[in-house]
Parts: sequence; C-alpha cells; structure tokens
Amino acid sequence: MPRVFITGLGFVTSIGNDAATVVDHLYALRHGFELYPPFQTSDIPCKVVGTIKGFTTDSTDPEDWTFPAAYAIKRELLRSMAPNGLYAHCALLQAIADARLTPPDISNADTGLYAASGGSPYLTHHHHGRLQKVGVMRCSPLGIVASIVGTLNFNLVAAFRIHGASCGFSSACASSAHALGFAFDDLVLGRQKRMFIVGAEDGNRDAILPFAGMRTLSLQTDPGIASRPFDAARDGFVGTGGATVMVLETEDEVARRGVTPYAEVLGWGQASDGHNVAISHPEGLGSAAAMRLALKASRVEPADVEYVNAHATSTLIGDISEARALRTVFGPALPQVAVSSTKALTGHGLSLAGVMESAFCALALRHGFIPGCAHLRTVDPECAGLNLPRATEARPVRTVLKNSSGFGGANVAVLFRRAT
Amino acid sequence: MSEATVKPTLPNQPVAPAPKPFAPEDEVMLRESLKRCSPSTFEAAIQFRKTGNPDHVPAVVIGVIERFVEPDLRVKLKDADDDLRLVEDLGIDSLTMMEIVILVEDVLQMSINNEELRNLRTVGDVKTFIDCKARGLPLPKPTKFLPIEHIGTVMPIQPPFLFLNEASVSSTSASGKYKITGQEFFLQGHFKDNPVMPASIMLEALGQLAVLYLLEGAPADPGKRVSPLTIFFTGCEGVRAHRVCRPGDILSLSVKPKRMKMPLATFEGSIRVGADKAVIAEEITLTFGFVEIAEAPAPAAAAPTITAPAPAEAAPLRAAVNA
Repeated sequence: MPRVFITGLGFVTSIGNDAATVVDHLYALRHGFELYPPFQTSDIPCKVVGTIKGFTTDSTDPEDWTFPAAYAIKRELLRSMAPNGLYAHCALLQAIADARLTPPDISNADTGLYAASGGSPYLTHHHHGRLQKVGVMRCSPLGIVASIVGTLNFNLVAAFRIHGASCGFSSACASSAHALGFAFDDLVLGRQKRMFIVGAEDGNRDAILPFAGMRTLSLQTDPGIASRPFDAARDGFVGTGGATVMVLETEDEVARRGVTPYAEVLGWGQASDGHNVAISHPEGLGSAAAMRLALKASRVEPADVEYVNAHATSTLIGDISEARALRTVFGPALPQVAVSSTKALTGHGLSLAGVMESAFCALALRHGFIPGCAHLRTVDPECAGLNLPRATEARPVRTVLKNSSGFGGANVAVLFRRAT
Repeated sequence: MSEATVKPTLPNQPVAPAPKPFAPEDEVMLRESLKRCSPSTFEAAIQFRKTGNPDHVPAVVIGVIERFVEPDLRVKLKDADDDLRLVEDLGIDSLTMMEIVILVEDVLQMSINNEELRNLRTVGDVKTFIDCKARGLPLPKPTKFLPIEHIGTVMPIQPPFLFLNEASVSSTSASGKYKITGQEFFLQGHFKDNPVMPASIMLEALGQLAVLYLLEGAPADPGKRVSPLTIFFTGCEGVRAHRVCRPGDILSLSVKPKRMKMPLATFEGSIRVGADKAVIAEEITLTFGFVEIAEAPAPAAAAPTITAPAPAEAAPLRAAVNA
C-alpha cells in the first residue's frame, strides 16, 4: 500500500491568508474574530464572526468583488463563482505554489480534486429572487453552478483542467474530512497519484444566520470570548468562512518530485451516530467508533497519540459528546493526549472545518507545537479529565488525530504523523 | 423566379417599443443593467427605449457584446466588420452568449427564443437578428456553417480542384477559408522554385464559393432547388490582385450576390489574408438552373435500410449543459 503525504497547503481563513500568518495565529493563540458589520442590527442577536480579511465579496456580482492583487482571475472564471469559490480558487493557487506543482502535474488523469462547501445560500437567494422578479428565462445562466452545493468542484476542476477524480462531499461539518478520507483511499488504492482537498464556505449572513434558529450560535458580543470550546460558560459557535486546500500525494510522487512533505496521512475512519438529525449522540457513540476505526486502520495505539485537534465547536451538547467519546477511546491514556479545538481562534467553518483543521495539524507537525485552548477559563465539569493545555506547547509532535462531526451524526477521524 | 429577396424563415412578431412611457425608475434600472458597458451604449439604449427608433439597436448590441469580451480582445470590435466570429475571434462561448442575450433582452425589452440563437455565428448575424427583432421584420435565413465534409458532399467540384476548407452561407452572403498548403499540384510549376498561388485559381476559389452559395444559400422557388449540374462560369469584371499569396497563407474569401435572375447570378467577391486585401472581383457571373425537388422514396417496409449518419451539423450556439 503506498503511503500518502501532505505536500502543499493554501489558506484563506479568519486567522490568515497564508501559511506563515496562520502559524503565527495558532502559535500565539490570536483569534480572527470581529464584530461583523452586517450583524450589528437590533434584529440579529449574534454579533461575532471569524471574518475574512483582504477580500470583499458582499455583492452578488463577482465583478464587484475585490481580492489581493497577487491573484489575477479572469471574468470568465469569476462569473460562475460564489464567494467560497473565490476563496477556494486563491487557496488552491497557494497550495499549488506551496507544493511546487507545475501545470503538467495538475492537469492529468492521475490528479483529482475533492471538495466540500455548503454551496452559496447568498447567491441561491439572489438568483431565485431574480427568477421571481425578472422572469424564468432571464435568470443568470451561471446562477446554478455558482450557488448549488458542488460549486467548488465544478469551478475548480474546469479552471485548473483537472482530469482525475472529482466529487463534492456533503456531510455538513464533516464534509471536507470525508473528502480527505476518500482522497486518501483513492491514493492508497492506486486510483490517483495526487489529490487536492478543498473546503470553503461563504461565511456571510446567509451562510451563518440559518443556524440561529437552532440556537447554536454564540450571542457573545466580546470577540475575545465568543468561541471557547470546553468552557463552562460557552454559549454556541461562532461562524466563519474562507477556504483551505490540501495537496495529498503518494510516496512515489513525493520522491519523484523531490519535495518535503508536511506530514503523512496514516489512515482514517468514519461512523454514524444513528441518533438524531442535528443533535450529536450524548455519549459520542459515532465519534468514538470513528476514532477507533482510524486508529486501527493506521495501526496506532491510543497511547501513541500526542495531540487531538477536536471538532468541539463551543456548543453546549457537542463538546460534551466529544469529550465522552475521547474518554471512551483513550481510557487510561487520556491524561497524556493534549486536546484543543482551534475553532476557539477561527470559529466554525462548517464544511470547511475538517480540511482547515487538518491543515492546522500539518502545520503543528512541521513546526513542532500544540496549539493551546484559547479562551478557556473554567473547564466544563462534563469535560473533566481531558488534557486541555491553556497555552501553546512548543515541542516536537509525532502523531496527531483530527476529529470532525456533522449533521445526522456523521463522524470522521483522521490520523497524521510527522513526515521525518 | 423574381429578384432574390430575403425570405422569412421563422415567424416573428413585431416587437413594439416599451408599451408604457419610459419612467425615471426605468432609467435607474437601465443604468444598473448597463453599468459595465460604455457610456455610448447606455445612451443608445436610452434613446431606443424613449423613441423606439431601431437605428440605435446596433450600438446597443455591439456595446453589450464588448462588455462580455475579454479586455485584450475588445480591440477587435473597434473596427469590426460583420464577419467577425463570436466563438473563434472573440472567445465567446455558449454561456457567454446567453449572458449577452439576457442583457440585450433586458435592455431592449424583447424576448429571444433558444431556437433563434442557434445560427448566430458572427457579429453581423447578431446585429441583423436584433435589428429584425426590433423592427418587427422577418428574420433572415440563418447562416449555415459548412465544414469540409459537407462542402465535399454538395459541390460538383472535387479535390484536387476544390479550394475551400470551410464556409459559412447565409441567404445574403457566403464566406469561406482556404489554407494554401504548398502541396497543390500546380505550385510545382507556378513558379519554378517560387510557389505562388495563381490569381486565376484565386478567382476560381471565389467562383466555387459562389457555387456553394447557389446550392446552399440562395432562395429558390417552392418545390425547386438549384442543380449542381447546371452551374457554369460565364464571366468576370474588374478583377484586381493586390497581394502575392504563398503556401501558409490563409485566404479569407467572401462573396455577396448583386443580381440574381434565372439563369444568371452575379456576385461581388473579395479575398483577404489577415488584414491584407489580396483579390477583388467586382463581378463574377455564373449560370444556373433549377430542378424539381424529388419526393424521397419511402423505404420498403419489408427491407429495413441502414441510413448513414447525418453529416455533422455546425455546432449550435446554445448552452450545452451537462447538469
């Protein structure tokens, strides 16, 4: 079975639009939250968002958008993008440069792309509005491909001339972790030599506010404490958008191209709660099963895991479920494994979260640190027993586990190991 | 057969200018719709909407097309002739064509059917089409694109004496291309160690395009068609060669009928190579005749026949969506 390595990363996130800035924020525990201007009205009780800086996408017309001058994108490509498509396009350009891939490395039958986003509720709303207002035959011909779930893979596969496997994944907040897992399988099975994993979300009003009805959004007005997973005073998640792209390659490709990988992907597992459409299993049944499968597939003992990047989103029920699942899986090894949720810094990226946080794990493995639990003051007694470092620990890390969970009780766990 | 006239091929309803008076809020919406077009486009659109005068339509159409063409290709539209092709020359794909159509519909307050779009290949086609819509005139017979396979099937002239690689034929004109390969048999002797396309052959190529027009574009009486066996050259006037053409040159040929009355058809023709004028012929005259269109014999019920696949049609300009 070929081994699989992470060879490139690209970021457009609330804590930075390049790997170096993201590392600085993770290490120093600097968050990316702001009072989000569109939420500062009396009818919207939640105020804080993990905002994307350096981009403006608050128009339904992509030709109005602004983005860093380093990215030159033709109208022909922009016209079919949602905001998350723009973020993903820029992150993919970064990841390609980071992995030192040439155009022939990208456009061939052995290179594929898996993507995850929730689509663009913002543009769906806009285009349906036009359909009602100006008539069925005058709605934008590109409205569908710009807004439905799948918009990322449609746009990127065409723009970057990808000829290998392409697919969109839709398991809500586990989506891009599923994309990573299945990309890993394609590489291990010899179907592909290189895979791009893309996660992105608009992170705007229409993407975040629908969660308000579930009462899952934090109503905190202080950006410094709004997102605090595992804290007794947590009151919900803080939304964010942006994009992350990860390049996975087989060991043969790594050797052929002579690149230095960030980390190795050891294996993954997935399992479902079979419990509730939107509430996680109280004992973390599916999450625990996913972790066990990932450990087994990776031939790693729980005691060998040094860091878990938790899914914990700072919601009341979800964090407890995951804490119980961790207790179940790690048992006596629990005190030795450091746990933190970097959503305390970025906010919850929904479909983007899995690959974004997996990329954070890759950075932690390369640079030798464990991000601390930002904003954690009083640990929720229900989460007691977890090793939750308050400060970042600067030390070489060898083995890391990443958890992701989504609606319907979908759970994914992925294991990474330092490359050298 | 009377003097050739443009015949209606599609039913078309006159498009009345906006039934209600042009209100200030209409101007606001129009300005928003055309915010990425040139000021002159907006001016032309507002004049059309206020007066209904179709003379303003071409400026609006060109302005809208320009807005959707990549900036580095827009220079081509500056002094565009009507033969400028939407796909090949301007990089407009079928989805961009839809964007153009929707904006034109919005701005000129008209509706365009998918079927009407299929044969719009050139800037001239679009201008003529929208102009006819705005004036409530019948639409011209659509331009047909004929690849070499199709040309070879219909023409009485065959290789190695056929000098057309591709052609587009409408009811009012025909254009075509021929690339001088250097392998033409007569170049061995014309001239010694110095291959030059004979002017007489270039005139022949224009004549062949006129033949193709008679067979594929010319309006015919009901129940009749031009017979390829009846077409012959009779004369030409005012022929001038301006440029030596050699292997590698791509000849852009065009002919337009000036007069057509059985049994004579007179054309004006020209050949360009890139932007250079190569040959002008003020008049090329051919004779032609009609035959009755035979009813297709019904295949015998007991003997199923295998029919050859239809010749590839010109790629229709409509959004091919694999959704």
